[in-house]
Amino acid sequence: MTCTVAKNWALRLAGALSLACGISFAAAAAGPEVVSGPGVDPGCFKPWDAGTKFFKAAKKNGPYRIALANGFIGNTWRIQMIKTAKAYADQPEVKAQLKEFKVVSTGEDLAAQIAAADNFINSGYDAVIVNALNPAAFAPVVKRANAAGVAILSFDNVIESNDAVIVNVDQIELGRLAARWLLKKIPGSAGKLLEVRGPSGNSVDRDRHNGFHEVLNGSGKKFEVVEVVGKWDDGTAQKVTADAIAVHKKFDGIYTQGGSTGTVRALIDAGHPFIPVSGETENGFRKLCALHAEKGLHCSSGGTGPAQVAVTIKAAIAALQGNPIPQSVALPVSYVEYPNIKQGEDFYPDLSDNFFVGNSFPGCKIGFSATEIMGKSEANQ
Amino acid sequence: MKDWNYRLAEQRGLILAIAVFTAMFAFYIAKHPAGLTANVATTAANKGVLLALVGMAQTIPVVTSGLDLSVGMVFVLANCVASKIMTGSPLATAFGALAVLAVGILCGAINGAVVVYGRLQPIIATLATGTIYYGLALALRPAPGGDINTDFADAVSGSLPGGIPASLVLLVGVVAVVWIPYRRSVLGRAAYAVGSSEQAAYMSGVPIATAKFLAYVLAGLFAAIAGLLLTCITYSGEASAAIGGSYTLNSIAAVVIGGTSLFGGSGGAIGSIFGAFVLRTIGDLLFVFDMDALWQPLFLGAVLLVAVSLGSFRLLRIKNRLELYR
Repeated sequence: MTCTVAKNWALRLAGALSLACGISFAAAAAGPEVVSGPGVDPGCFKPWDAGTKFFKAAKKNGPYRIALANGFIGNTWRIQMIKTAKAYADQPEVKAQLKEFKVVSTGEDLAAQIAAADNFINSGYDAVIVNALNPAAFAPVVKRANAAGVAILSFDNVIESNDAVIVNVDQIELGRLAARWLLKKIPGSAGKLLEVRGPSGNSVDRDRHNGFHEVLNGSGKKFEVVEVVGKWDDGTAQKVTADAIAVHKKFDGIYTQGGSTGTVRALIDAGHPFIPVSGETENGFRKLCALHAEKGLHCSSGGTGPAQVAVTIKAAIAALQGNPIPQSVALPVSYVEYPNIKQGEDFYPDLSDNFFVGNSFPGCKIGFSATEIMGKSEANQ
Repeated sequence: MKDWNYRLAEQRGLILAIAVFTAMFAFYIAKHPAGLTANVATTAANKGVLLALVGMAQTIPVVTSGLDLSVGMVFVLANCVASKIMTGSPLATAFGALAVLAVGILCGAINGAVVVYGRLQPIIATLATGTIYYGLALALRPAPGGDINTDFADAVSGSLPGGIPASLVLLVGVVAVVWIPYRRSVLGRAAYAVGSSEQAAYMSGVPIATAKFLAYVLAGLFAAIAGLLLTCITYSGEASAAIGGSYTLNSIAAVVIGGTSLFGGSGGAIGSIFGAFVLRTIGDLLFVFDMDALWQPLFLGAVLLVAVSLGSFRLLRIKNRLELYR
């Protein structure tokens, strides 16, 4: 009897759904005009490849209202990113262009981040910048933004869409760089590597992972890779690295996508012999590498500085001024390796471990002193 | 008159939730730069209905004095399944949507079977099955993505003429077609009887096993409808443990704010809907207030605590506190 009742309800529900399906109101997507290059300021907004198209939106008169819809906030990279965004928005020549710069961080709830971006679009902001929780989920937001004539840009964890401007670091290349360096530093043609990955499901994590394995698999050497999830967070990375060392006893090299300081600390705490470590660009990681370099802790350090948010804001302003800009902007990678890691330039002994070094983009005339960034609060404005 | 009083007292939790929601939402709209336009309403509705459906899913096991810790994971699994099969021609899409609902019903039936026939504690049983459902979702969608019928998705997540959010219509439809008939059916009343006193219900010949089983099945169905809606809002699926976990916890909060007792036997899904709306509006307030990012969780927690405490104001009105324990 229960079963018949349930089936009956399911059928009625299906009726209601198909009714909703019959009435469709898809808004016509307009969006910016596609033009051929070159774009404005090619030294800063470098097209991703020869096939990259250029967007030219109708010119709007400033000053502009720009919003940043951030998702995840729980790590130091994101906090520094928000501080950098505010520091950039406060630089006099940028401030003159901005009527309002608002930041909302929604946490890990995807629906909430989509709603936040929609709220900015609904409220008539001129440009909405997204650091997406999920690369696939923002297609409807892009559609609504383009229909409303709002410039939509994403960076770091970009929206995978051909209809929105993305500011991209070659994450796959970063994974490749790490693998190449480890292969060069590890003697022998077999061994065990530890890969400390980022939050699952994320495009940056996926791309770095794929690049790393692409080079390893193509090298002809036999390396077993143990994967753990460190979530780009020092505490988490330290814990999972310690667990992995406890279980596997010995590794020949480590690739840590983030939380690198924690990864190296776990290595030291476990009394594991020093091995080559390829990590992100945290100040603390480079400090530890410099301290233990003579004992054999050799490191390479590459990543995507949080200052890329400033390049994205600059791109938003350029787009709103009616300039052609590439749909996919390629950012330079910040990368150094042993023995070239220099004090006062590549790391700062008196700054916090959590500071991400490598915040300047000379091609964009964007640069920050450490104090300029750390002086800003994480507050949403 | 007496009867009217009784009914009012019975619905006090619901009325309070509606009042709190109305006040908060009115404040939010008053402060919103765009006011109440069709788009603003649709944005708020999509987010709210999503949690409202998961809250409804949680309500029914709670009414039977159980708990379903797998609702969030069924929601995520349904999202991943939908992102795989809700594509193609309108007919294929409709069948895909029905199949997603069937997956939800199946997950619910497994929960019900484990709890009722396996005689395990609902909390432990659904914690375990929820992990299984999440595992399935991850196997199905190791990385976020999907290709779905966007016309269908726009229809469900867009707005109808007159600016009425389609997702709100979907919610009203689910209430009218599933919840109200269920609440009035013998098995619906049996769920309340089981929740208030299982022994008394047994002695009165109430079909205890069937009522409990059906409660979990409906929870699975509601969670799957929510998963379907999430797929329409995002055009994609993602096996995210963070999303599953947060919706499970928020669904319990929605149930409590909506006036349903965690001890079972009272309350209802309508209350949970408004409970979910209250929760979502608290989140929206961050958009109109300029709040420091590091203070946001504290602010949310404090408002949540106030909202939950409103339910215990009953204490103040009772002459003898022992009456509470009767």
